[in-house]
Order: sequence, then structure tokens, then C-alpha cells
Amino acid sequence: MRGALLLFCFTAWGSLPWVYGADAVASPSVPSSPPGVQEPRGNLPIYRHWENFSVGDGLPDNKVFAICVEDDRVWVGTENGLGLYEKGAWRIYRPADGLAHRVVMSLAVDRKTGDLWVATLGGLNRFSAGRFDTFTQLNSGLSNDVVYAVAIQDEFVWAATAAGLSRLNTRTGEWALFNERNTPMHEIWCYNLAVNDGKVYVAVWGGGVLEYDVATGRWKDYRDPDGEMEIVLFRDSGLIHDVVASVSYENKILWAATYFGVSRYDGRHWQGFLEKDSGLASNFVNFIKARGDAVWMCTDKGLNYFDGKTWITYRRKAEGSEGEVKILTTANTTSLTTPSGPANNYILAIDFQGDDIWVGTAKGLSRGIRTREEKLGEDTRRSR
Amino acid sequence: MALTLLAAAVTCGFTQARSTGSRLQAVVYQSPTELVLSPDGARLYVVCEGSHSLAVVDLNRRTVIGRVPVGERPKGIALSPDGQTLYVTNHWSDTVSVVNARELRVTKNFPTGFGPAGVTIDRTGSTLYVANSISNDISVIDAKTGSEIKRLAAGRSPHHLSLSPNGETVSVANLLPNAGPFRTPPVSELTVIDTKTQRVIRREFLPGAATLRTVAYSPEGGFLLVALLRPKNLNPMVQVAQGWVITHGLGMVRFPAGAPPAQVLLDEIDRYFANPYGIAFTPDGRYAYVSSSGADVVTVVDARALAALIATASRADLKNYANLLSLSARFVRKRIPVGRDPRGLAASADGRFVYVANRLSDSISIISVDSNSGGQSIGEIYLGGPKRLTALRRGEILFQNASASFQRQFSCSTCHPEDHLDGLAYDLEPDGLGRNIVENRTLRGIAETAPYKWRGTNPDLETQCGPRVSKFLFRSEAYRPDQLRDLVTFLKAIPLPPNRYRRRDGKLTPAQQRGKMIFERITKKDGSPLPKMSSCLSCHTPPHYTSSIQADVGTINPYDSPGFFEAPQLNNVYEAGPYLHDGSAKTLEEIWTIFNPNDKHGFTSDLTKDQLNDLIEYLKTL
Repeated sequence: MRGALLLFCFTAWGSLPWVYGADAVASPSVPSSPPGVQEPRGNLPIYRHWENFSVGDGLPDNKVFAICVEDDRVWVGTENGLGLYEKGAWRIYRPADGLAHRVVMSLAVDRKTGDLWVATLGGLNRFSAGRFDTFTQLNSGLSNDVVYAVAIQDEFVWAATAAGLSRLNTRTGEWALFNERNTPMHEIWCYNLAVNDGKVYVAVWGGGVLEYDVATGRWKDYRDPDGEMEIVLFRDSGLIHDVVASVSYENKILWAATYFGVSRYDGRHWQGFLEKDSGLASNFVNFIKARGDAVWMCTDKGLNYFDGKTWITYRRKAEGSEGEVKILTTANTTSLTTPSGPANNYILAIDFQGDDIWVGTAKGLSRGIRTREEKLGEDTRRSR
Repeated sequence: MALTLLAAAVTCGFTQARSTGSRLQAVVYQSPTELVLSPDGARLYVVCEGSHSLAVVDLNRRTVIGRVPVGERPKGIALSPDGQTLYVTNHWSDTVSVVNARELRVTKNFPTGFGPAGVTIDRTGSTLYVANSISNDISVIDAKTGSEIKRLAAGRSPHHLSLSPNGETVSVANLLPNAGPFRTPPVSELTVIDTKTQRVIRREFLPGAATLRTVAYSPEGGFLLVALLRPKNLNPMVQVAQGWVITHGLGMVRFPAGAPPAQVLLDEIDRYFANPYGIAFTPDGRYAYVSSSGADVVTVVDARALAALIATASRADLKNYANLLSLSARFVRKRIPVGRDPRGLAASADGRFVYVANRLSDSISIISVDSNSGGQSIGEIYLGGPKRLTALRRGEILFQNASASFQRQFSCSTCHPEDHLDGLAYDLEPDGLGRNIVENRTLRGIAETAPYKWRGTNPDLETQCGPRVSKFLFRSEAYRPDQLRDLVTFLKAIPLPPNRYRRRDGKLTPAQQRGKMIFERITKKDGSPLPKMSSCLSCHTPPHYTSSIQADVGTINPYDSPGFFEAPQLNNVYEAGPYLHDGSAKTLEEIWTIFNPNDKHGFTSDLTKDQLNDLIEYLKTL
């Protein structure tokens, strides 16, 4: 949407509409940034160069559900196996190698031990120095074999499953299950996890967001206050929608990705983001991941970046291999054509490797390579 | 001896001093297991498992000059690089005792995981690595503060570990094989840790191997040796007369990674050297000395000849070597008789001597190293304690020593290392290949759990260990009546280790409490009464959670003879896997999620997954 784009965004840190768009006149009422939100500093992540991987390049499968970067190693969970990209080469792991199931939904590296935890549709794996250990609902206390997400919290491993949450104490082997019987879990379809800073957040598909406080062991639920499945009535009064696909928690900010927009919660105020009045490429958001003060959103129509001031959308052009980058600030909209773009615009996963990003799509894996000259204002072609 | 005994709980202590009546309370044997030399070679520090202490030996005077009480049942020892601090693992206390080597006193105790056994320290003296044999992991501990930095996943029952000569890696010998597919030969793991990242970087799998006791690097660091067994447990044990039922040898893992691991046997065609335990290289790397705890012998291995043999072997050769009884002639230079039940070894820095801890002789053998012949034993240092052998001690000697079996192929302890189990299923009966294979059982705390065997066919231990062992296992003359009495005395005194899941205050966690209610329930969740024999307590009654009731719990497989099974005792059941009579359930969960489809093994079909988890948490406390 080039040119006359007028976007409104109701902010959590101000009650007046925040006017975006190339044709918009900067409003004197634009609020100041909330604490912790960066001002645009001329070094926004503009990815012009994309390296794309498909099955032909060694990727296990073109549908990429999960990415986990561990230093110079990139683990990739796909619809048909686990891939490891290291030193320019791929290694593939499948059920014959010990993988619990061919469909890998989520990955987490234990930064202390180096063990990789793998969430699959047939159980949970620990991959440790070449050995797969498999945990299923039959051979362990795992509540269900359909594991959508895995996360590490000290010596505990959390697994989000189709039948609630399971938590493994790796030191004692004890499993604790969390479900509708012992938490305010309105649905047991747990879809994603975020562990950080003493909290565990759970994206519950159809049940909002659950919060677990590690210190107190207490649970709290966040629901859509309007309870509407098709429309958003009270956007900034709470979670934007109960169908939550993904959560992220960074710098005391909770981000929730739903199939009907994105919510931000700072512990006091909620703020919703919709396609119609923000830089969000689509309300259908598969995955969300915050890094510092910025957040990355994986939608069905491209990849979004948002740092509190500036939205960026990364897409592949409909024809050819070129990409496009759309930058939306309070002052203007900038659109760039880049030599390459992501493999596909249906984005499912993201992780970071230094300044580079790795992006999983429905049709391939992409690495966004950031070079020094790629800064806002340099070599850009303005849309106006 | 692969006794398929039904074990249960007795709480007598491990040492004879603690085990039985007052008459025996004065009898405390030292039972040395591991040892380490001071940097100047003047002192030997010896872990004495029986007296729960560390003995300090002056090697010039060849006498004990000090003792340091440590924790319960000490196992492993490490010395800081500066020689000032000793670290002793306390297997039953779940601690490492920090001992000031100059003052000979414990300065503090560091907590560890469950069942610490081996320990080593890095070259900087800053990090300890402790093998937790019950929690199946490695504690990485700050040697100054005692804080645990991290816990690394090991194989099953990590028992011993060793630091490489360049300090870059720590290798771990795991006593029990990893859980594998049903009715397949064992595969054991050697775990390699990078000391820089403090992460596991390599897992070397040794097919056909079990009971990895200790590991030692060659001085130049090109390879390591690990003491192991190669059991043919799926072959009928009665074929012992044809030999080759359980063989004893070494694994060789080469560095850097890439070359396949090798296995060779220390045995000879008509004579076996049961239960290899400790390994020590001479500083020049010429020889490796290997103790055989079931043969009272130290074997002198020409390490260079062995390395050359393996280096030139093809993969086909390696496969052949692993089972070749005649191969030892190509690298074994000598067999040196030592004391009873030799365990840990240490070679002096000048390469002149090797010291051997003789566990059941309460002594240290001194071997004078000879570069041509391999050396000879030149004396023993007695560590103290009674020289009189009690019935219990005599029984333990019988238990450990393989001389009762045909060609000395194995001893009771071969299949029951640490008086426990080896994680294997055995074809024990002469009823055809592959029929009635049964899982090995622990011997800990079995005194009051008669009758024995999965089918309950042995009414007492005398029957179990008398003619049955002679006929079906050892294929030799039966024990004399006095020997049988001694052996049974020992078996009945094998204590049950402390339960790691029971809180010290006796209170149950909420999950355990919920599990207890399920274990003891007499009604279904809908309020209707449970059928008779469907309550856990019907067959698993306290205090050992066993009974003489025989039942069909729906687990007979097509290769089993029809019939019923005894209810096994459940004390410390978390250490007893795999489960069921044939070892088909790898975990406690599988007993009910896979092998109880018709509610014949207790009524469990009305339990939610949460409740099954609670039940298992309670079972672990029994």
C-alpha cells in the first residue's frame, strides 16, 4: 500500500490516535515513546539481501515451523525432519535417527548444557551430543504427544501440548501437568511458550494467554474482554483475541500474536495492533518474537518488525525473486525494492544470528543478511 | 549369577558393623575401592567404602598414617592439581566431602545429584565433575564454592570419569547400558564432556557391551580404555559349558573423533578374567594395568601393542576382535595375582609402581613395574580392620569371585554389579532359545522377600543359590554347605540404599500424597468398589510392597510358558528399570500405558494422565 496510506494506532501510552502515513501530517499530539522504546536511530534492520534454502539445497522440507540459532549453528524444524545448518552444510535428522516424529514444531536449546529440545507431533525429544531421548505420553509423564512448543526454564523443560502443559524436572525426572484442573486454562490446546525473567507465558489457542510466576507458582489468565471471535470491540482493554498463536516476553513486555491481530502488554496497559491501522502486514500472525525493545511478527502476508515507532514489512514480490521492504514511521512511508526477498510471504518462524535473521516460511527457509550500508536513508527509493 | 530374585527392603546398613546384631557391630572392614597418589608420590589416599572414611598411607613406611571420616559409603576420589585438597564422593549421602590434605579433615560437603560415584577435577582446580549414578547425570560443580554450575545428561548410571591428559575432555563410563529395543543386545555409552564449554560433545556407543566400570586415557591422549563386559544374555546361560557366555574386556575409544570404537577381550579360550574394574597406565604409556575384581588378578596390557593392533584393523577385524578369545595373547603380557576383589589402581609418576586397592582383603597391593616383563607384586599394605573373616565377609568373597563358575566365566557380581542389577534380561532356563527370558533383579534388600524368582519357584535363598546356581548358571560343583550359608548370609545383609524421593521429614509432596491415595484406593473413581486384586495394595503390601501372591497381570508374551508371576518388591523402584518380568516396560509409565490394556495389572483405566503421574511419584518413595 504505497502512497496515501493513513494508519491509526491507538497507543498504550497515549489516548489519542497516533497518525502514521506518508500523507499524514505529523500531529502535535503524537505522544512520547514509552519507557524502553527506542527512537529511530537511522540503523533500522533493512534486509535487502536474502539467502533462501529449499529441499534442493539440503533443507529437510520446505515448510519450516521452527528455527533455533545456537551461535554458528542453525537448527530448523520442518514438516519432514530436523535440520542442522553448520559451516555451510546441512545435516538432517528423521524418525529413523531417533526423532519422535517427522513434524517438528518448536525448538529450544538449553544454553547451559547445549542440549536441544525438540517439540514434535509425536512427542518430545532431547537431542544431546548425537543421542535422541524421546518422551511420549506412553513412556513418560508428558500429557500428550502433540507437542507444539518447548521452552527451558532453568532445570525445567516446559512443553505446550494439545492436552495442556507438561513440565519436566530434568534433575528428578518428575513431571508436573498443568491443565483445566489446576490452572485457569479455559482450553487445553497450548500452542506456544515464552520463558523469561521469572515468568512463563502460554499461548492458548482459543483460551487467551496464561501467565505463570516462577517464584510464587501462581497462575493468571488474560482473555479477550469482548469475548468476540470475529470482531475486536475492546481492543486496548485487554488481549485482542483468545485465539493466541504465539507469545513473547522481553523487557517486561508481553507480546501476544493472535489470528486477529497483535497485543502488547506492559503489566498495566494493553495495546492492540491491527492490519487496518498499523504497519502490521496481516492480522493473521503465526509467531512473534521480541528482541530487546523491538518485536518481530510472522504473518501470512509477510514479516513485520516494530520498535515502537517504526514498522517494517518484508515481503517477496509477487513476481520474480525481488523483495520489497516497506518502512512506516510517524512521518512517512518508504518502500524499497530489494534484490532478493524471503522465500515466501507465509512466515512461520524467526530467530536471530547477530545482525542476520533466519526466517521460516511455508515454502523455504530464508536468511536475511544485513550489511553495514543498509541503514535507513541510504540508497533508498522513497515511495513519494 | 543373574539371580532372578524378588528383592525387597531391608534397612540394615551396608557395612557389617551396621548390618546385623551386636556381635557383628564391632566388625568394620575397610573395603578400599579407589585411590589416588599425592603429587610427590609419598602418600596414597584410599577411599574405604566399608569404614566410610579416607585412609592416608605413607608409602615410604607402607603404613596407614591417618584416617578421615567422610560421608556414607564413599566411592570416588579426586585430588586438586596443587595436591592440597581431596574430593571424596559419598554415594549414600549425595555429597562430595572436601578434605584438606594437609590437615586431614573435612572442611565442607558439597551437594550433588543422586548417588555420586566417580569424581574428577579440571586442570585449573576450579571445576569438579561428579558422576551421579542414580540420577543418571553429571554435576558440574564450582570447586571453590560448591555451587552446582549445571547438570549434564549422562548415560545410565554413570560410575566413573577421567580427565584427559591435555585437560580438554572428561570421559564418563556408564555402568548400565542405555535403554534399547526389547530383546536386543545391550548398547552402552561412553560420554565425553568438553571442559571448555562444559558440555557433552560426544557419546560413543559400544554395541554388545555392559557394565562399564572405569575409564582411563592413555598418557599421550590418543585413546582411552574402558573396562567392560560383553554378555550374551539373550543366549541360554546353560551354554556356559561351551564358553563365551559372558566375556570380559576393554573398550578403546580413539581421539580425535572419527575412528570407530574397538572392543577386545582380556579372557583366554579356556580361562576367563571376570569383572574388569580399574585401569592405570604407566606414565610412558607402555602398559595399562587392569584389575579383574572377580579373578583377583591384575592383567598387564601392552598398550602400544594393543593400539597398533587396533590401528591396523579393518571394520571387519574390529567386529571379530570384540568376541575373539584368542586375541588377548597379542597384547596381554602378564597376569599378576593380587588381593581379593581388586578395584582401583594408581601408577606412580616415576612409573616404578602400580598400587591396587584390594577391596575384600583390606589391603593395597604394590606392583613393581618392569618394562620387560610387565612387573610383579612385591608386597601388600594392610589398611587395618579385622583380619578375621565373618560369615558375611566370606559370603561376599564368594559373591564377588568367579572361581565357582566353569572356567571362571563369571561371578554373582558379574550380573549384579554393586549388589544391584545390570539392566539386562537373561535366558536362564534350558527350555529352548529365546523362551522365558526374564529381567534381572536387584539384590538390595531381598532378605524378607521370599519366595524368589519371577515365578516364585525358589522358596528361599538357599535353594536359589545352591543347586540351581550350580546346575543352570555356573555348571560346576555346588557350593559346600558352609559356603552356601555364608553366601546367603551376605545376600540377606545387602542393604537397601536410602530412598532419594522420600523427604527426610517423612512428609509427602502434594503429588506423592495424591499418588498414595490412588495406590491405596479400594474404589473406582465412580465410587464403585474395585474388583478384588485390582488394588495396588492387594499384591504390593508394605513394608517391601511385595507378597507371595501369584497373579496374571496380562504380561505373558508368546515366548513365555503359561503361568503366573510373583509381585516384585517396589522399594527404590526408580532404580530397578526396565520393568515387568521380561523387561518389556522401559519406564514405570509403560507398565500401565502400554502393558495394562485390560486392567489386569491393577485397575488403572479410569486414571487421568495427571493421576498416573501422581501414582508414579508415590511409587518412587516406597
